[in-house]
Amino acid sequence: MKKLILYLLLSFIVSYGSYNITILMIPNIIYKVFHYKIVNNQNVQDNELKHFNIPNDQSRDVVMPNPDFLYSTSFYDLSNGDLNLKGKMPDSTYWSVSFYKPNTVNWFVKNDNEFIDNNLDMKITLSNSDQENIIVSPVKKGFMIIRILVEKKDNKSIDYYKVLQKSITLN
Amino acid sequence: MNKLSQNKILIPLVILLSIILGIYLAISSIDSYIQNNELSIKNGNWIVNPNMDLKDNYQRAYIARIGVFALDEKEALYFLASKDSDGEILSSNFDYQIIGKPPKGRYWSYTLYGEDYFLVKNDNDIHAINKENFDINKPIIISSKRKEVNWLPSGNEKEFYINLRIYNPEKDVYENLESIKLPQIKRIEL
Repeated sequence: MKKLILYLLLSFIVSYGSYNITILMIPNIIYKVFHYKIVNNQNVQDNELKHFNIPNDQSRDVVMPNPDFLYSTSFYDLSNGDLNLKGKMPDSTYWSVSFYKPNTVNWFVKNDNEFIDNNLDMKITLSNSDQENIIVSPVKKGFMIIRILVEKKDNKSIDYYKVLQKSITLN
Repeated sequence: MNKLSQNKILIPLVILLSIILGIYLAISSIDSYIQNNELSIKNGNWIVNPNMDLKDNYQRAYIARIGVFALDEKEALYFLASKDSDGEILSSNFDYQIIGKPPKGRYWSYTLYGEDYFLVKNDNDIHAINKENFDINKPIIISSKRKEVNWLPSGNEKEFYINLRIYNPEKDVYENLESIKLPQIKRIEL
């Protein structure tokens, strides 16, 4: 009887711990799976910017993609130093740059209205700085998304925004 | 088998089974929160999940499951409906009309997602109606049958979701999520 109680107690403690760790780690696991899919299916490495087409009903990389956006994404890694994000962006539609931690929390977002002009010029670093165009990342590794809104989906508009999208670089 | 050998087998087995039980219960509890919308703000038949930078582990797991890489509430709000205004499950067996204006913001859009949270399949490659491609003089119709304007194809989905996105919502929108007036989704006969 004493042994049974001990086993039940052990089971309760381990299950409780496992339960809480799983809840805590679910976002990180989703992030890792997404990272694995992007690296393997899209053949994209860390610090490489991937320019995606407008999502359609075949898109399976993330749930609930917005079919009005052109997405450019990168898993960034600051282990080897700072990164520079540059590009010529649209001047008459919504666009934004957002950063996420490996637990999927969105820690930074800035949209076109908050930039001085349509020139994207940001440095991503781990070192403290107050400068406007320097983004201090709280994590060494994370994820970034650049969203460009394509309001009208005629071929001319899509092609125009794609040219701008492809001008974005991360070095 | 002596007592020592028994313990050598039983203890790791109990630990292993307990770990599996904990993982199963954690995933089940998040799934249950998703099914019952327990961690969301409710407004009529819509739910919304503001404040993405939460310290709460449950909320974070919940958001990661249903809308990974969403933006914070000042940048974008994501209203989700799985039922019409009468509380019935949305299904492509029926037609719907969206009545009323979306909350004020810089940009809005309606998008349909299937039960798997991916875009509803349709041959017309129409997946959203937004502020720019919307004909203000006509209602928005959700139907599996083709319509001329403001048409959101519902494909062949037993159940689907409507996602209303508001980018850069006005302050009184994201500060009054439980009480702001949201559009109604009415089942109609066409």
